[in-house]
Amino acid sequence: MRVTDKLMFHRAATSAARAREQVEAATAELATGLRIRHPGDHPAGAGLAVGHRQAAGRMAAIGAAAGKAADELAVADDALGGVGATLDRARELAIQMANDSYGPAQRAAAGAEMRMLLGQAVALLNSRAGARYVFAGTRDDQPPFDAAGNYLGTTAPRRVEIAPGVTEAAAPTGNTIAKGPVDIPAMLSALASALDGNDAQTVRSTLGDMEDAVEQVAQARARIGSSMALFTGAAEVSRVGQDAEIAAISALVDADAVDAASRMALAQRALDAALTASARSFALTLLDKLR
Amino acid sequence: MADLLAILSNGSASLLAHRAAASTAGHNLQNANTPGYARQRAELEATRPAHFQGDAYLGRGVRLGAVTQARDRFLERQIPAALTAESRSRAESDALEAVNALGPEEAGVSSALADFYSSLRALSQNAGDSSLRQAAVGAARSLALTFNGAARAVEGARAGLDAQLEGIAQEANLAAADVARLNQEIAIARAAGAEPNDLLDARQRAMDTLAELVGASPVPAGAGHINMVLPGGTALVAGIRAGTLAATPDPTNGGHLALTLRPPGGGPAVALRPAAVGGRAAGVTDARDGSLAAALGALDGLAFELAGELNAAHRAGFGLDGGTGRDLFDAGATAAGAALRIAVHGGVAGNPDLLAAAATAAELPGDSTALFALLATESAALPSGLPPGAALARMVSGFGAAAARARAIAEQDRGIREHLETLRESVSGVSIDEEMVNLTKAQRAFEATMKVITTADQMLETLLSLK
Repeated sequence: MRVTDKLMFHRAATSAARAREQVEAATAELATGLRIRHPGDHPAGAGLAVGHRQAAGRMAAIGAAAGKAADELAVADDALGGVGATLDRARELAIQMANDSYGPAQRAAAGAEMRMLLGQAVALLNSRAGARYVFAGTRDDQPPFDAAGNYLGTTAPRRVEIAPGVTEAAAPTGNTIAKGPVDIPAMLSALASALDGNDAQTVRSTLGDMEDAVEQVAQARARIGSSMALFTGAAEVSRVGQDAEIAAISALVDADAVDAASRMALAQRALDAALTASARSFALTLLDKLR
Repeated sequence: MADLLAILSNGSASLLAHRAAASTAGHNLQNANTPGYARQRAELEATRPAHFQGDAYLGRGVRLGAVTQARDRFLERQIPAALTAESRSRAESDALEAVNALGPEEAGVSSALADFYSSLRALSQNAGDSSLRQAAVGAARSLALTFNGAARAVEGARAGLDAQLEGIAQEANLAAADVARLNQEIAIARAAGAEPNDLLDARQRAMDTLAELVGASPVPAGAGHINMVLPGGTALVAGIRAGTLAATPDPTNGGHLALTLRPPGGGPAVALRPAAVGGRAAGVTDARDGSLAAALGALDGLAFELAGELNAAHRAGFGLDGGTGRDLFDAGATAAGAALRIAVHGGVAGNPDLLAAAATAAELPGDSTALFALLATESAALPSGLPPGAALARMVSGFGAAAARARAIAEQDRGIREHLETLRESVSGVSIDEEMVNLTKAQRAFEATMKVITTADQMLETLLSLK
């Protein structure tokens, strides 16, 4: 093929330009740390990255919500532990005062303590996690129990998402813990009244309910325990899922620094070779020999 | 003696021929880097008829027969198509590469959508919390703004391509006027009996420009004219008359510009169908009305359908004020333009307490049933058939595939164009080494002819000095 000077210059320019394009591409990849900077760089990868990003966000949010729910259940468990201890003391007092050897003065003093135990139980059932009353159901901006032990919350518990589209009840409502089958505040109030009235018979008749109440609270704690395990497990699964999605995004989108660096080195060598070859080809011309 | 005088006369004419050869070599050397210049050759031929004397014919020296251009007609026929294809695919590829608003990067619609649903999930944990409500409304606003920004970026790119189309029309008009004017000048110059090579080069450059800009191809006509014809067969240049292209708003395409042509012979401007235009103009409209329009349509569809599904779920829920039946987003009544219009509904935007989370007023403030219904839209199919994330992924992949395809085709076309241009340069380009040889040849021949003249002159003197 006949080679003209313009052809040589054009070749030099285009080969240098192409080598510089390769250097620029490798530099951009190293500088940004991204392999996919435009959807056209890897159309399928770009689309998959969108899906993985959605999934990672979903997992992170579910994990956070499940984790918070587990934390609130820990508060609920502590509170019920306290209610259990209160009932233990109330049972002890009731058993003691059921004995005919005690007189009105002692029973009156026990009655005062029983009222104090009622107040303690109500305060524990009105426990909060942050600004929320944990046993109030969905009406969680107000105390679920009034001073007399009447329940003011909702019957339906609050629900928390543990997987996409799957929800689980959070803390049991005060209704299910303290109002059935044994109405614990009413029972403690009745006991207090009986003690005030020196009514040993009534005190004795409440002992059965007292046992049931202790068992009722213990069962509520057991349910909370299994819910905590569920939420903790969901948080862990979500964390693992999130990590997997982030790893998938990274595999698609992020540049391999070693690979990008070696490509940049190769591109720079190619540029150097192109420039050197061009300079050498310019040096040979008849014009110089005819001077 | 007459023969000696003939030698002097022939020598003088030969000197002119060699001088012309030297001049041609010099002209080539001086235009070695001139774009579009085709090297010229001084065709020398023996002067005819020869002079018969005695028993033989005596030659009469050399004369300049013609100065011709070195062009390969077969190559020249292929080049316009290669220029047209390459400029079209490059224009489309460049246009799509410049749009980065639809990528999978962290600041895009994809991330805003994920953040929106994450904020709803966080709120579902504590639906009465005012800071979480504020954050959820903020995430909704960010999602709307991201849709707006992406739509604006794509529409801005389309408007930029409109400006390019205007520029292309103006450049094409100048080139077409050049071709028409040069057709006339070449015809006049040819009437003198020789080829006006430099005018032919200028016309070829203008023709190449038209091939690149609008895909016009040359068609030889009578009287040495060349007509330039657009892909649909419409003449842009007819003889010594040029048509006029204009880019005018097309009401059937949202006001984006379309090319019209006032024909070379005059008359009203007619709209050019997309298939009637090639080159860079076609590449620009391919990008604007093809991939970018499709991406914008997909974005609008996603914004509209997502807003619709979210609003349906939101209307069934109750805000902290006990109110219900409210929309979460305003996206307009139709999908067209929804991505640019979408915004958080005014009431909710101004008062996060109105964000519906509960299924009934009785379950306020902690019930999150309505929020779960909003969250369910994340994995439920939109009316178009895919969940929002998958629809977004399909849009991103689709745009990416179009950009990758355009890039690959542009690269392929670039290779073909470069190959043909290399072959053309190989045939028509100036080699400095060659021309230096030609110049030296002409110089030596000139010197030799001078020697002939000097010798003939001495012979004449000898003859005249005979007594």
